[in-house]
Amino acid sequence: MDDEIDETIARIAAALRPMPPIDPARKASVLVAVAAERERAREARRRAARRWRTAGLMGVAAAAGLLLTVWWRDVIGGRDALRSTSRTAAASATTPASGAPATSHLVASESADVAPLPVQLVLRAPAAHRVSVVGDFNGWDAAANTLARDPASGLWSGTVVLRPGRHVYAFIVDDSVWVRDPRMPQARDADFGRPGSVLLVGRP
Amino acid sequence: MSRPPALKLIRPTAAPDADSAGATRRSLLIRAAQAGDVRAFAELVDLYYARCLRFALHMLSNQGDAEEAVQDTFVRVYRALPSYVERESFEPWLFRILANRCRSAGSRERRRAEFVEFGDVPDRASDHRHDDAIAWREEISLALAALPPEQREAFLMRHVEDLSYDDMSVATGAGVSALKMRVKRACDALRLWLTEERNGRRD
Repeated sequence: MDDEIDETIARIAAALRPMPPIDPARKASVLVAVAAERERAREARRRAARRWRTAGLMGVAAAAGLLLTVWWRDVIGGRDALRSTSRTAAASATTPASGAPATSHLVASESADVAPLPVQLVLRAPAAHRVSVVGDFNGWDAAANTLARDPASGLWSGTVVLRPGRHVYAFIVDDSVWVRDPRMPQARDADFGRPGSVLLVGRP
Repeated sequence: MSRPPALKLIRPTAAPDADSAGATRRSLLIRAAQAGDVRAFAELVDLYYARCLRFALHMLSNQGDAEEAVQDTFVRVYRALPSYVERESFEPWLFRILANRCRSAGSRERRRAEFVEFGDVPDRASDHRHDDAIAWREEISLALAALPPEQREAFLMRHVEDLSYDDMSVATGAGVSALKMRVKRACDALRLWLTEERNGRRD
């Protein structure tokens, strides 16, 4: 069965072939959605890595507990012949055991370190009708953080609450133009060929 | 009524050198995107966005649904890119994802249409324009929308997107002879619809 087409089919195909008009904002939103997908995948990998680390710490704690139990049984049992060995076991056991509070201290100080901080973002765009910020902290979601305009100065500003660390972000002006923050260093790993800026939050 | 003479379809072909340069460039972009190069992925979006939107618009007849389907397609392509093997051609692989997405959007749309209340006439049906070119395009849109989705899909892939039957088979999962039959039935139905429509207007 060959493709034999008459005039009608040829005319139909010709009428359907022209490319549709493209809305640049909708096309830009494709890359924003893909960036959000990539961020979700990264976050899932980070969560998996955290789970492994937690499992590792629990394993160390369990091993320490086991050694302590063995040592304690030996002390109670008063086995003189094994006492010196028990001391060795105790010495190795106390390291992780005393490490346990140290670990909790680390976790405590880490949780203080990762406490989110408010950061104000500002862009001068007097002619813009809408400005939003996208970044790794909001999953590159253009609807998540819109900025407010100060009519007198033409400045758009907004506050985001960020965990300490390095963040990459950009502004989206009028839902279509992707601009980086000119006040901050340019990100080398800018997203999808779009410009981005780097923001360091927390300890220098 | 005498049937117009059948014409053998002659597809426009690009110069072989330009075509192979384009294929090499596409192949490099795909490999770079697979390796995590986001700029390469953005270029792939630039390269295929318009074609995907054209296909989705003809499949779904709604701008918003089509744009959403295309966006979702590229997100799925990004997610599935690591599993793409280069021995498959990229276009049918991309169209497989897009066609699946349009099929699910189409089923949702059909379910939604069942709840359209009497009196909610779609704009397109109530819009009387007399410009011949616009009227012709509208007739085609209506005729296309009246086709069963699998025939519409096959017709568009073959006659608008210029996919080969082998590529269409990859894109749809259907066999080549089944696809040829779908295209033939779609052509017959379109011819009939448009002839009746024209005769109806003359009456």
